[in-house]
Amino acid sequence: MSDLSIQEQRPDLPTSQPSLLSAQGLTVRFAGITALAEVSFEVQPGELFAVIGPNGAGKTSLFNVLSRVYQPAAGSVTFDGRNLLRLKTFQMARAGIARTFQNLGQFPHTTVLDYLLLGRHTRMRSGILLGGLYLGPTRNEEKKNRAYCMHILELVGLAGYYRYPLGSLPFGLQKRADLARALAMEPKLLLLDEPVAGMGLEESEDIAAIILDIKEQLGITQILVEHDMAMVMGIADRVLVLDFGRVIAQGLPAEVQANPEVIKAYLGESIGEQPSTSASAQVEASREQ
Amino acid sequence: MAFFIQLCFNGIALGCIYALIALGFTIIFKASEVINFAQGEFLLVGAYVVWAGVSEWNLNFFLAFLLGIAVTVITGVLFERLALRQMIGRPAFAVLMVTIGLDILLRTGVIIKWGGSNRTAASPFKLSSGFDTGGVHFGTSEIWTIIVTIVVCALLFVFFRFTKYGLAMRATAIDQEAALAIGINIRVVYALAWGIAGAIATIGGVFLGIQEITFDPTLGQIALLAFPAIILGGLDSVVGAVVGGILIGLTQDITAGYESHFANILGAGFHDIAPYILMIIILFIRPYGLFGTRKVERI
Amino acid sequence: MSVSDTTTSTLSIAKPPILLRAANRRGLLVLGLILLALFFLFASDQWLSIANYAMIAAIAALGLNVLAGYTGQISLGIAFFMAIGAYTAVWLGGDPTTTFFINARQVPAIGLGLSILIWLPASGIVAAIAGALIGPSALRLKGFYLGIVSLALIFIGRHIFVNAARLTGGPGGRTFPSPVFGSLDLSRQNDIFGIAVTSNQQFFLLLLPILALAAIFVSNVMRSRAGRAFQAVRDNETGAAIMGVNILQAKMGAFILSSFLAGIAGALFASYNEYVRPDYWSLVLSIEFVAAIIVGGIASVWGSILGATFVFALPQIIDQFNWLQQSSTSSGISSGDLNTALYGLLIILFLLFEPGGILGLINRIQLLARPLSNRMSKGGESSGPDSEPGPPFEVESSTLSAGNGTSLLAG
Repeated sequence: MSDLSIQEQRPDLPTSQPSLLSAQGLTVRFAGITALAEVSFEVQPGELFAVIGPNGAGKTSLFNVLSRVYQPAAGSVTFDGRNLLRLKTFQMARAGIARTFQNLGQFPHTTVLDYLLLGRHTRMRSGILLGGLYLGPTRNEEKKNRAYCMHILELVGLAGYYRYPLGSLPFGLQKRADLARALAMEPKLLLLDEPVAGMGLEESEDIAAIILDIKEQLGITQILVEHDMAMVMGIADRVLVLDFGRVIAQGLPAEVQANPEVIKAYLGESIGEQPSTSASAQVEASREQ
Repeated sequence: MAFFIQLCFNGIALGCIYALIALGFTIIFKASEVINFAQGEFLLVGAYVVWAGVSEWNLNFFLAFLLGIAVTVITGVLFERLALRQMIGRPAFAVLMVTIGLDILLRTGVIIKWGGSNRTAASPFKLSSGFDTGGVHFGTSEIWTIIVTIVVCALLFVFFRFTKYGLAMRATAIDQEAALAIGINIRVVYALAWGIAGAIATIGGVFLGIQEITFDPTLGQIALLAFPAIILGGLDSVVGAVVGGILIGLTQDITAGYESHFANILGAGFHDIAPYILMIIILFIRPYGLFGTRKVERI
Repeated sequence: MSVSDTTTSTLSIAKPPILLRAANRRGLLVLGLILLALFFLFASDQWLSIANYAMIAAIAALGLNVLAGYTGQISLGIAFFMAIGAYTAVWLGGDPTTTFFINARQVPAIGLGLSILIWLPASGIVAAIAGALIGPSALRLKGFYLGIVSLALIFIGRHIFVNAARLTGGPGGRTFPSPVFGSLDLSRQNDIFGIAVTSNQQFFLLLLPILALAAIFVSNVMRSRAGRAFQAVRDNETGAAIMGVNILQAKMGAFILSSFLAGIAGALFASYNEYVRPDYWSLVLSIEFVAAIIVGGIASVWGSILGATFVFALPQIIDQFNWLQQSSTSSGISSGDLNTALYGLLIILFLLFEPGGILGLINRIQLLARPLSNRMSKGGESSGPDSEPGPPFEVESSTLSAGNGTSLLAG
């Protein structure tokens, strides 16, 4: 745990700014396993906050709590001044939280455009009756939202695929479409679940670029769960490291990388004297031993 | 009081039939996540083959019984292999419909082969034999039904607990992918499940025929009443199937015994829907049945 | 980024699918109308009758598709809601002078003699209300649990209908009101502007617009927000919830719409058939509708219509032409049994080999009919991109800037 307060770590942030999301003492248990234990952290508006940790560390459980798929056994989460844990899963979107999926394949037959339009569900209003009659207001709503979604697709470079069913796209493009869908939800907080999992170097760079653009141009707060250390260290503002459900480090990327607890969690034993700038270099270092 | 005990006894005997049908449903459901709508018609086919064996081909009862079991086992295994295999990954509704299609084919097949008229069931017992005590008649057919059901349950218990393939079936029911990963031959598991279900169906069909004395191609409709049994017991619970079956049998017979007193409010023939009402009541309290487990959807 | 901040080029791609966009679609519509008019004028009464029954069935099939095909809820209960519609119709529109012989007494039947303009909409509304009452409990059940409870509805319903003899006529059934518009009673041949129009022709003119309205309504729902939510619930409930879809609300909406259509269809059937027994609303009827949407095409408006025609019209057409000889031997194989066996087989075959139903088959044939070179250039995918796909892998760091140099945050 870093001893520096948020203000000291990020002097560029206004000191009186309340955090967008604040988690205290989150604990999740199932079937005898404690997936999360007393996890606390804060995320500032506009920042890119990464959650990393070895396999089984509890990252997905944390995500599922934040996206209201799990209810924690203990702890609290405040989002935008509200108690997040009182929300049901479907209320999350309207509250301003959008989540991407780690494993795709939920909607293989849905076209890319329809998928984004599905993301617009909470921003549109027509119900069954209005939809069935398809009068002026519904027509306009459809047109406007379609155009909006096409715009987002153009920006992420998927406009030509708007009629393709999601399942027919290569995995990397599906992930990109999923990210576009999350953007279409006009969220205040974006939860990115392993956005580059399974991708090659170039694809990862493309997604990383999009994520940075979301931060710099749209100012949307993002919480990112990822395995790819190089990517995370390259783009994150602050990092939270979990291991066996507990927080073992929290702070700026450089600090976290140098933290001996973190190195131990990933590599097993304290290795080498020089803190390296990337995990791959650390692996190299350990091989030479 | 004797009347009530009589109703309970008959209800348990009927419930055993439901338990056998429900067991067939549950075993298939646990193995392949499918509700076999045609289970009642397996019963029908089994009953007819046994009857034909005795009446038309002059076999003795036990041989005919074995023949009936063989036919339904083969039908089940073939259906699983030829039809159900193609439906892997398809929505549950579609798979249900394939079994409904099989249901229709089996029933009309029986009608085409043997016609629609009433048949007297083949039975090794004399009509209305049994013993009486305290004003209650304990029929031989009913007693044997209960005994055979207990034997079947015991055999299944041993099978699932102590044999290699029983263990394999339980493992597959819990997690198919994991079972595959440790080398369980899923094809054999599926075939076994459908085969066992087919065999149990024939046993049920034969004893139902014995209890009812005559039957016709609508015999399979009894399976419709076994549905409440598996639902209130829990779709994936073997214990639930048996408990559910007995409960339904008891509900039906006890209700039938007393419903004439309430005919004005409840209407005639209330005992036919009492099982469904019981099922709905239980689902209100436990949406996955008495012993069923909640399914977790992955994202 | 605001919704109105878009370029005109994207607007042209983004038009929602409308029924009548391309010129050839318009041509097809005109052709269809001409064919229907010719049918109306020249078809024999028997053929009109077959068509009328098929159209009524199509309305119910649409209802079932809304619930099962689009929203993925397993339901075998459609016959129950059709019955509710029919009995609402006869309660409001039935002849008040009818009597039944119940329990050895002449009892007046229930019937208020109101006009079709009241009983027809009411039949849908009451069925929808029934759906709204049953929905909250039933729809909390998942998968097969829901399916079996819907089965229970049929049997419990049947029990109620058989026993509610003053309304339903008991096991013997009763007559249902025919549509009467002023002096025009559709169950009789009438002179309209001096031309003799048969009862079947009049029903044809009544049923066709009702079916068309239902089909257009459902089609509209499915291409708008609610329809997308339904299909998301079907495909992945948790995923849909993450999108913000209120799952229970969506299921309820589908259930209510489905019950409404079923109620209308039930009332129309009872009225057209003029006489219905309570055991008509059976599990077999529900299964016939499930077969209809599978054979026709799940989650498809045209599929519902084609499938209903197939399941409900085909047996009568076969009878018409005596394609299957009636067997009068003691083995008692009726053409009815062979019919049933036939469509049991067809259900299995369609499910195994053509999950898209008849519509899927048509699509497949259309694909094969396209010139080979055409398919090759589009990369083999029939729904290829209309414009050049954006360069996916040479994205620069400022990907989120629009092509003309403005950034997203520009006003």
